[in-house]
Amino acid sequence: MGSIPIARSTSLRLGCHLTLCYCCGVAAPSQPGTIHIEETASQEALATPWNIVVHNDPINLMSYVTMVFQRIFGYPREKAERHMLEVHRKGRSLVWSGGREQAELYVQQLHGYQLLATLEKAEL
Amino acid sequence: MNPLSLRSADEKTLRLTGISPVLAHCLFELPEILRLRDQPAPRRRLLQDPSPRDVEANAEWHRLIDGELQHLFASAGETVARDLTQLDPASGQLDFPADHANAWMSALNQARLILGAQCDVTETDMEREDLDVRDPRHKALVQIHLLGWVLHLFIDHDDETAV
Repeated sequence: MGSIPIARSTSLRLGCHLTLCYCCGVAAPSQPGTIHIEETASQEALATPWNIVVHNDPINLMSYVTMVFQRIFGYPREKAERHMLEVHRKGRSLVWSGGREQAELYVQQLHGYQLLATLEKAEL
Repeated sequence: MNPLSLRSADEKTLRLTGISPVLAHCLFELPEILRLRDQPAPRRRLLQDPSPRDVEANAEWHRLIDGELQHLFASAGETVARDLTQLDPASGQLDFPADHANAWMSALNQARLILGAQCDVTETDMEREDLDVRDPRHKALVQIHLLGWVLHLFIDHDDETAV
């Protein structure tokens, strides 16, 4: 399956001092000597994990959801089934946490397999 | 009639056998069901918002991702529609290339979700057993179950071949 990671084409403007590129994490200061506070902020933004949450729906087969978790995340069957059962019983399961760009790729793949999936910023 | 089953006919071919006339009819309707994917409810289901709250991020996501997903879904549907032209209901058997298995799983699942979205199907609906196919909503539930049965065969086959 192909992919179009959103983060690769976007950048986050941090205050008036620097622009952080999600792609390479490079912060370019516009006013040298004033970046230390913003740089800390940018590092925090980069380090903040993103959660992928899969939601229950009445149609998708349990065996299908398990297969998709195995295929996308490479989870062993036992772990894939654990997440599938959590989705089924609790309505949602946090299936993966990590960097934003990878999370977006995974969510795109989950949508490609037609699972209900959202991307949520982790609360630190 | 043999029980419905999916197995490898040879290295490059999968064979679906035991296709009853009712299931054949349901499979023949698959392309028509898939054409409903651009109706509002199925579209919302298949092209989801990735964020529960961020309207701007969702708009950007749809701008970048929807085209690719639509192409993926349409291409799977076209592959299966072509394979179905070889289905002879009298024999109850269908051969198709083994590398079409993923397209079949996608198309079968799409069709189930489209029907579910069109009829706003709930968990309770899925557990109903008193279905009367003269009722369009009940007919959709029967189709969801029948297509789910076929999908399950593909998942089992994928599982067996992965070992």
